[in-house]
Amino acid sequence: MLPAGSVRRLAAELWDALDSCAEQQRQLERSLRVSRRLLRAWEPAETPASEPTPGPGANEEAPSAACTPSPQDLKELELLTQALEKAVRVRKGISKAGEGDKAPILKPGSIATSPATRASARLSTSRGAGSHAAETKPPRGMRYTRVPAKDLPQRRLLSVGDGACMGKGATKPEPGLRDQQIVPSAASRAPEAFTLKDKGILLQLPEVFRKAASRNSCLWAQLSSTQTSDSVDAATTAKTQFLQKMQTTSGWPGSRLSVAEVEVEVGRLQKACSLLRLRMGEELTADPKDWMQEYRCLLTLEGLQAIVGQYLHRLQDLRTVVEQQLGPWPEGRLPRASSPCAGGADPIWSPQLLLYSSTQELKTLAALRLRVAMLHQQIHLEKVLMGELLPLVSKQEPLGPPWLALCRAVYSLLCEGGQRFLTILREEEPAN
Amino acid sequence: MGRRRRRRGDPADAARALPEAIAALSQTLPAGPGPETFRRAKFDRPEAAPALWRLLFRVLSPQPADSASAAPAPEAQARWVKSALRSQGYPRRALAQLPDDGSQGARELLLALAWLLARGPLPERLLAQNRVRLGDEMPVCQCEALASPGPPAARVEADSCVDIRHLQWLMGKLRFRWRNLMASQQEQCVLLSKIHSYTRGCHSDRSLGHLSVTETELLRDPEGGRQDTVLGACPPEASQPTFLPKIPGPGAGDLEPLARELLALQEELREATEARRAAWEAGVGGRGPEWSASRRALQEAVGQELAALQRAWEQGGGLGQPHGPGRLVRTEPGVPGGLGLRATEVIGALRSQEAHLEVVLRRLQGRCRQELAKLAGALPGLIWVPPPGP
Repeated sequence: MLPAGSVRRLAAELWDALDSCAEQQRQLERSLRVSRRLLRAWEPAETPASEPTPGPGANEEAPSAACTPSPQDLKELELLTQALEKAVRVRKGISKAGEGDKAPILKPGSIATSPATRASARLSTSRGAGSHAAETKPPRGMRYTRVPAKDLPQRRLLSVGDGACMGKGATKPEPGLRDQQIVPSAASRAPEAFTLKDKGILLQLPEVFRKAASRNSCLWAQLSSTQTSDSVDAATTAKTQFLQKMQTTSGWPGSRLSVAEVEVEVGRLQKACSLLRLRMGEELTADPKDWMQEYRCLLTLEGLQAIVGQYLHRLQDLRTVVEQQLGPWPEGRLPRASSPCAGGADPIWSPQLLLYSSTQELKTLAALRLRVAMLHQQIHLEKVLMGELLPLVSKQEPLGPPWLALCRAVYSLLCEGGQRFLTILREEEPAN
Repeated sequence: MGRRRRRRGDPADAARALPEAIAALSQTLPAGPGPETFRRAKFDRPEAAPALWRLLFRVLSPQPADSASAAPAPEAQARWVKSALRSQGYPRRALAQLPDDGSQGARELLLALAWLLARGPLPERLLAQNRVRLGDEMPVCQCEALASPGPPAARVEADSCVDIRHLQWLMGKLRFRWRNLMASQQEQCVLLSKIHSYTRGCHSDRSLGHLSVTETELLRDPEGGRQDTVLGACPPEASQPTFLPKIPGPGAGDLEPLARELLALQEELREATEARRAAWEAGVGGRGPEWSASRRALQEAVGQELAALQRAWEQGGGLGQPHGPGRLVRTEPGVPGGLGLRATEVIGALRSQEAHLEVVLRRLQGRCRQELAKLAGALPGLIWVPPPGP
């Protein structure tokens, strides 16, 4: 029905569009996975495939990939738990008097399961230097003012548990936690894993990171400041001279414009074309009320006409450039692609801030971006389809039902975005 | 930070500075060859050539390469480098004449590298490309929106699909993917917003206030061996080893549609202006004596309007308009933000863009309708019932 070449070309265009969508979908899904994971409870070492949780070296032999604890480990755990309970009770008895304020603090301290026990940044004096040395992980950044010393055995306990099994649910350390929590608040029994919602504001970036980030900013600032020093002028003149020399030794009188620049220019002209047309439409539909308005309208239209004439000339120049460029070089037509975002005057400094104030605003922003991109794509496809299908439909002579079916399909594709169809009825001769 | 003042024009200084500069350059450039290679290239030694071809390939490709994807074959690389340089306007013919096997041309490639360095801030651009993105970024401009499709997925295209129904099916598939994309993105916005609000006050940088997804993940998995933590925030890697990045540039065929459009526009304008000019000239006798003064004023006014109109596309994406990615930062509604672009402004700009594009699309569809109506009109005995609705 349709020439194979046409269909293939059009299908290729559609597939290009489909591929872009697929690519963006993939990226989005990856981000979604990451975000969802962050918003769930932060189970310690959730993925068994991650590296072995570096306890204080006590359990290096424990296989990190193991998900089920051996009975031996379970027993050990049980014993340790009991010992801990006892220690806690004893301690509670001793410190009950003067540690009224410690109790609530202990709760958050224990709540953060393994992350808290592995954290050492900003933890205060109660942690001995020994534990710091043993700590192999970088500081977790949990902000706690005081942590009781009893956390030490706790940590070791949990590390064994870590090595044994830190599968989903973190069921093993729970006994330890639960029991510990009986002490400060006999009421709650549920171990609270760390969730961003509840405890997010307690997070703090590690010192190492902050230092690195500030050093980074310093260096970038230094870089941009050197751009404005005295030696820049000398450098610029040297560069210009070099570029000129390159141009003159080029071997042929090539044009100044590169193909990439032509592409940019073509994009600009396309945009100009549609804006000019829009303006023309406005003027044509305007209703001048007096002679001044009428004259103004006339001048505007004539001005628009002059601009279009200029641009047609410009286009002709561009055409010769492209033809010239394609000449002496080995390859013919280059594959089309859009150039990466130039980034404006200062692409290198940290990206500018984009401030939003509500979820709805963010959603609207994202939705509009997508919609505009989609419209661009639709317009491109529309032009391509028009270019191929309209000539086909008008050329086809046999006007039988196959042609009608084709017309109907073309109408729906071109005029309704493929979403709706028209109906063609044949007029019946009135039966007499 | 004191700036080091260089005594200008001191040759001894320059001689000392050169080896340092070359050493720094080879460290900065990705896949940078050592200073010895540069020296060999200066003398056009063939053993330096492959390294320089590789270097130029890395430098010119827009995507940050990663170790996961294998580099394309040397011949493919060499051809691609030649095309890319050509499209940027590299003036020397000698480059085109180098053999594709990448065995020669060290000196010419060195010249090409120098040319690239002279034209723009190449090392900075490379740094910016390869940097770790700490924030949750959203592009402020429309440059990359759905532009590059990435590696072409495996397409199942039987040769027998020579039917327009295949195209209809593809179109439907596209619409479906769009809907999915929209839904996923809206969900991502909600999640992002939550993460931002839950971590407010946590960032050491006061102007940011809250953590980004990347930073939060850093805290969650400091030892994260998975790709998802920090690298996941970077632009996606090319997953297929032999995928060569596309080179921007129109072929001669791309200018045709534009030329047609401009010509059509010119024709319509000519018709309109001729008619109005004739009408105007006919009635000019009845103008008052203040005619010549207002006439000049009108001419000036119109001139300025049109100049402003032209600026809309000539400077498009230039200094005035924001460009590049923006780091999303959540603020309280009432608080006046410091430096930064407000989402409301971007939303406004996008809405007007959307309206404009919808007009363009409707116009194109209308034109199609007219064409088809003409064909339909040529066929008596048929009734064409267009679909109802908006």
